[in-house]
Amino acid sequence: MQTSADHTTVMIRADELSKRYGHTQAVRRLGFAVNSGQICALLGPNGAGKTSTMRMLLGLSTPDTGSAMILGRPIGLGADVLGRVGVLIDGPAFVPHLTGTGNLKLLWSATRRAWPPPALDDALDLAGLGAAIDRKVKGYSTGMKQRLMLAQALMRAPDVLILDEPANGLDPAEVRTLREHLGALARQGAAVLVSSHQLAEVQQLATHIVVMNLGRLVTAGPLPALLGDNDTYRIQVEDPQRATAVLHRMPGIATVTAHDGEVIVAAPGTPSRDLVHALVTAGIGVTSVHQASRSLEEVFLTMTEGDDEHASH
Amino acid sequence: MLRIELTTQLLRIRTLIALACLTAVPALAAMATAPHAGHRNGDQGGLFGASTYSALNHTMASLQFIAPLLLPIVVALLACAIASADRDWGTLRYLYVAPVTRSRLLAGKLGAVAVTTVAATGCVLAGGLLSGLAVFGPHPFHIIDAPDLTGGDAAARILAASGYTLLCMLSIAAIAFTLGLLLPRGAEALGAAIAFVVVASILNGQSSLHTVAVVLPVHYWQNWTSLFTPAGTHHLGTGILAQIATIILTTGIAVLVLHRRDPTA
Repeated sequence: MQTSADHTTVMIRADELSKRYGHTQAVRRLGFAVNSGQICALLGPNGAGKTSTMRMLLGLSTPDTGSAMILGRPIGLGADVLGRVGVLIDGPAFVPHLTGTGNLKLLWSATRRAWPPPALDDALDLAGLGAAIDRKVKGYSTGMKQRLMLAQALMRAPDVLILDEPANGLDPAEVRTLREHLGALARQGAAVLVSSHQLAEVQQLATHIVVMNLGRLVTAGPLPALLGDNDTYRIQVEDPQRATAVLHRMPGIATVTAHDGEVIVAAPGTPSRDLVHALVTAGIGVTSVHQASRSLEEVFLTMTEGDDEHASH
Repeated sequence: MLRIELTTQLLRIRTLIALACLTAVPALAAMATAPHAGHRNGDQGGLFGASTYSALNHTMASLQFIAPLLLPIVVALLACAIASADRDWGTLRYLYVAPVTRSRLLAGKLGAVAVTTVAATGCVLAGGLLSGLAVFGPHPFHIIDAPDLTGGDAAARILAASGYTLLCMLSIAAIAFTLGLLLPRGAEALGAAIAFVVVASILNGQSSLHTVAVVLPVHYWQNWTSLFTPAGTHHLGTGILAQIATIILTTGIAVLVLHRRDPTA
């Protein structure tokens, strides 16, 4: 397996992936990597190529060009390394006349492994199906099927998770539980790749994002860095004019603007406590300090709007 | 994979109903002809005319009655389901990422098709034998206008007939299985397989279309009945070759389809 610049292990790698369906170029020369401990959100509007990318990463679809690797091994249909990957792709799917447990056993024993899987109890806790786990799946609601599929992905204690819209059909409490579960797995060293349209949820979950549009990579990187300037603060003060003058005299301040009872300070490398200290020392009351980062929704829309080039070009 | 395929298919209600039908038809026929027990069945000849003489006679008559249409339909139903159900349910992608290789998946499916075909044929034979024992008794195999067969001779001919019919059913199973992989949905494959059996049977009945009929596997399905004519055994070689050729050809197509097709296409 490869090691990234920050000495973590590269768990998922896409290199120059391209895929065309008929006249539609679904994915175009896409490259990114997800390291151990990272929760990476694959974002993009409908038709951006997210699911096509995930299919190629799982060997379900053969790329026209490029390659996909998981845990350092090339991926193909039914590749052995997929036994270490938890998957939710294209929604849940079960044998309808079997019980929830029967379906889990079926998918687990398909690879000749002895029942039970290593993380079954935790996975069933997450699914929260109770006695319904022994009922036939054809009577399950959409949310129950989604939770059972997540249990299927998690019961094998995977090193890599690839989840396509994992929060679909889940209520807020279930989404929170899932977020905590994925966070715990990432802290233990797993790599998680999720696609989602629920940007507020992604903002709470992801450490990194990959944004696609029309099959191409728009941007990729750590979420905090992409959410905007971390060195810009909005400080509510008693006297904005004096505060502006005080802050201008500080070293390392790029810009200061007073606006409607507050000052907006761009101070690369300067901690917010130093700004507050300078103001208070000058006798200026400080009411509040906020980091002036943007929401993921704002960032996402800025990145993906206005690109009207057709995917097939 | 064989166990998984069998688990998913044999636990389906429709599979159990279909197999029950194959068992029930001989039982119903035994009850309908019970008044003729020990005598010729009306003025009919051949296996049907002798069906009321013994359990074994009834078993072979049941096979002759069910094998041309009902048995191949049930066999096609099971083979189509094995080929296409995991795609219809969406579980195929989860099997591949489990992970299961294409070769293992295909081997499991082909094994399951063979087992279910044996089970379907066995249901007809078991239904005929059990209902025959209950209604007609364990008498020697009787051939109209000929001496009764000895126990050993009857057993050999019955085994040959059953094996030949099984081979014929494996050929329609192979056709249905390949259709199940080729067509988008299992229902479409089943419809196509049944249409094939019906159209082939109609073509086979047209003497003017003999040159067409001889290339169809259906043409040879009833050849085994000559094993129970006074003339004795009949050459089954051409029928066996036709069935084996059909199985090899269609299974080869199935292998190509499964290995070449993108599972998400």
